[in-house]
Amino acid sequence: MAQAQKEYSVVGKRIPRVDGFERVTGQAQYTGDVQLPGMLYARVLRSPHPHAKIISIDTSKAEKLPGVKAVIHHENAKVPWASGGHTHQRFIFNNPVRFVGDAVAAVAATDRHTAEDALKLIEVKYEKLPYVLDANEALKPDAPKIAPQGNLSVGKGSFSAPIQESWGDLDKGFKDADRIFEDTYITKHHNNAQMERRVSVAKWDAGKLTVYASTQGISNARTDIARDFNLPLSRVRVICKYMGGGFGNKNQAQDYDYMAAMLAKQSGQPVKLEFTREDDFIGMHGRWATEQKYKIGVKKDGMITAVQLDAVANMGAYRKQSGNLSGTDFYSIPNFKKIILPVHTNTVVAANFRAPSYPQSVYAFASFLDNIAHEMGINPLDMFMKNRVQKYKGKSAFSSNYLEECIVEGAKRIAWNDKWHKPGASTGVIKHGIGMALGGYQYGPGLGAAAIRINPDGTAHVLVGVTDIGTGAKSTMAIIAAEALGVPLKQVEVTHGDTDVTPYSVGESSSRTTGYTGTAVIAAAEDARRQIFNVAAPQLKVKAEELDLRDGEVFVKADPTQKLSLGRAVSRSGELIGRATTNPRFKDDVQGKSFAAHFAEVAVDSVTGHVKVTRYVAVHDSGTIINRLPAESQVKGGVTQGIGMALTEELIIDKLTGIPINPNYRDAKVPTHLETPEIEVIFVEHPDPYGPFGGKVVGEPPITPAVGTIANAIFNATGKRIKELPITPDKILQARLV
Amino acid sequence: MNDDNKGKVSRRTFLKGLGGGAIGTAVISTGLVKSDSVEAYSPESSGGVGTRKTLNLKVNGKSYKVEVEHRSTLAEVLRDQLGLTGTKIGCDRGECGACTVMIGGRNMYSCSQLAVWMEGKEILTIEGLAKGDKLDPLQEAFIEYDGPQCGFCTSGQIMSGKALLLKNPQANEAQVRRGLSGNLCRCGNYNREVAAVLAVANKAR
Repeated sequence: MAQAQKEYSVVGKRIPRVDGFERVTGQAQYTGDVQLPGMLYARVLRSPHPHAKIISIDTSKAEKLPGVKAVIHHENAKVPWASGGHTHQRFIFNNPVRFVGDAVAAVAATDRHTAEDALKLIEVKYEKLPYVLDANEALKPDAPKIAPQGNLSVGKGSFSAPIQESWGDLDKGFKDADRIFEDTYITKHHNNAQMERRVSVAKWDAGKLTVYASTQGISNARTDIARDFNLPLSRVRVICKYMGGGFGNKNQAQDYDYMAAMLAKQSGQPVKLEFTREDDFIGMHGRWATEQKYKIGVKKDGMITAVQLDAVANMGAYRKQSGNLSGTDFYSIPNFKKIILPVHTNTVVAANFRAPSYPQSVYAFASFLDNIAHEMGINPLDMFMKNRVQKYKGKSAFSSNYLEECIVEGAKRIAWNDKWHKPGASTGVIKHGIGMALGGYQYGPGLGAAAIRINPDGTAHVLVGVTDIGTGAKSTMAIIAAEALGVPLKQVEVTHGDTDVTPYSVGESSSRTTGYTGTAVIAAAEDARRQIFNVAAPQLKVKAEELDLRDGEVFVKADPTQKLSLGRAVSRSGELIGRATTNPRFKDDVQGKSFAAHFAEVAVDSVTGHVKVTRYVAVHDSGTIINRLPAESQVKGGVTQGIGMALTEELIIDKLTGIPINPNYRDAKVPTHLETPEIEVIFVEHPDPYGPFGGKVVGEPPITPAVGTIANAIFNATGKRIKELPITPDKILQARLV
Repeated sequence: MNDDNKGKVSRRTFLKGLGGGAIGTAVISTGLVKSDSVEAYSPESSGGVGTRKTLNLKVNGKSYKVEVEHRSTLAEVLRDQLGLTGTKIGCDRGECGACTVMIGGRNMYSCSQLAVWMEGKEILTIEGLAKGDKLDPLQEAFIEYDGPQCGFCTSGQIMSGKALLLKNPQANEAQVRRGLSGNLCRCGNYNREVAAVLAVANKAR
């Protein structure tokens, strides 16, 4: 647990990333930058059909092409990919293929152009099978069966189906309501679209597999690879120091890591397997598309009495993640029931994208609540304020909850009371509007490990298994170590991202790194301090417990003038190693969450239907902020992704062929410099009793309310409710006509 | 090929293996290579077994003698053959800007330029911006304003920012946004990248 230091020397400041130099000079090494002697280049062949049986695959012509060293496919590389599908078995190559983009073969050659040429020489005979793209169609009894057990994706534990949750008494809740509203909202599959295409470099040395992965978690990637290749953990090494974005879709090990490993095995040479941008859009996954039917009961004053959610989540051909919807988490709902059907279709797989189960459901629920406020003549600010969550699922206390302060601060900053007008009351061609929504993300302590080497000159070497995916994890670990040890930041070096060298870390997913691994760094620092005091005590002729360490100096607490520099104190100790594996838990009745209230102003062109976000205020309760600079950047980034999700992004799949028609940046329409306003970030800072130095989660929360916030601002501007994402100009113009 | 396209070369022409003739330049003999030039990686380990050409690339003030496949892009040659991996490839089709370098003082997508077109051009990549450990002011601003999140687009953002500032040292915010608009950042760190370029522009006022 965090030390109760009141005044921090580095925590809570605005500190540029410790690896800034590497990042601005092109020296930070990403997976695709790895060059090994004799390395081959690999490319993947993908299915052009949404559902087809492979009758035969002839690779002879490809193999004869000069430079081609290995060709793998479902017959000669039958490797299971356990985390790729949790409800029916998935291999790296599958027969039948179940979506356009399903991997069919991979080629390794002396260069990438030859590998690309070779793909064209592979002859595959397919028997086309009936297919289904729509989740509701897929649930009909006569729909083509995608998984052996049918299209409702039934698995175990968190992969069961339907996903169900309830509390209170739903019937009583609706009986108590003065009014009951029902409506349906639709959200679409959109791709994570991280800048770094998926890439993996694999090599075998005397039976040991090394994978330079582009992963959000080297430890869980190693576990995956070891399990699926039937190797002991000690014979698998995963390295990933810098990673070019993932936002959830690069957690663990992925099929491309396995393909690279199999090609390397077959060719006896290191292999770099690179996805094309199209591979990334059609071959992997984005956020699950949903249809959400809500029934909400409210009292006259707007207080919610009951919520019923029935939803369908399109998970694509495999169940890689849950398909859950959690947007109701931010409201006090006394009586609740949800039933979500995760469904298989012959479309690209859906899985994690930043706060996986939130923004699509926050959009739906916050839109609906905003609508109910309108119907009942209640100002949305009052509606959100009075229904904000206070207890987790109506019973447990939160470890800390400053959602109310977020709402108050944000409303003040954006001048809600001056700017809010009746929906649709904006006159003129350009309609102005203001909107808000609530969000956040769960947080809890968990398993972490760290080691800190104290060199004989007093510099510290922090070993942590984090990869830096853009969150600033490497810098955060350096800051936490410097603070907890009591040494200047420049005396701390971080070694990260190599399973042969660095201890276990949970992985940069679900906003857990700071909480899990950061807590272990603090404990490792405390262990190092004990050892430092033991060697310094005889030198200062006091007992170890009489010593403290701050700013790189060991001193006697009772008389700080009696001191030694850390370097001198440990100069004859060889090397002290502080280490810790920590696994703290909440008390039984406590739940953790970061909270956020977002506010936006938009301008809607009533002639073109074009929406511009003109102002954005994001207020967050994330406990103590360890490093303000990247924390603010995280919030800005989450909001920007939310703008894309709200207004433009959708992977469009042709209904007649099952082929995704916009698998590229230009047509996927991710936001650019021109669509992104200045995003104002406010942290209401109150330390959480559990997190390291009082910190809660930062990375996931900012995208959660962004989509709903913008949707509500559009409603305020136009008086028209768009119930389907993305809110594109055509939908706005259509709504204007009805 | 119609008359308008005479003398120009499309990537498709090269894919047909006609590239060498189409641009009408002879393969450069080793005799033309400057004595201070750097020998790039051996052809066996570098891009392609197709029609090849030896050329002299001027990158970051250094001359490189390099044998390239006609269909290799500048981005591929920079990364795979010259080892200058600071230039990233995000889409390989001229949409994202991660591969932005400066060619003759202009910011361009190096994934959309064939290496064989680069004979005699001055190419500047992210690796050539700092003078040893002395960073360019724009690089310093990118650190100070937290320009990189994941950092994958950062090289391109900096090169576009640099090209803009060379042309318009006192660029205002709208001009900076437009100047960087060909560079995507999926981390959504646009506010920071604009602030970094603007900070340098403001100092020039």
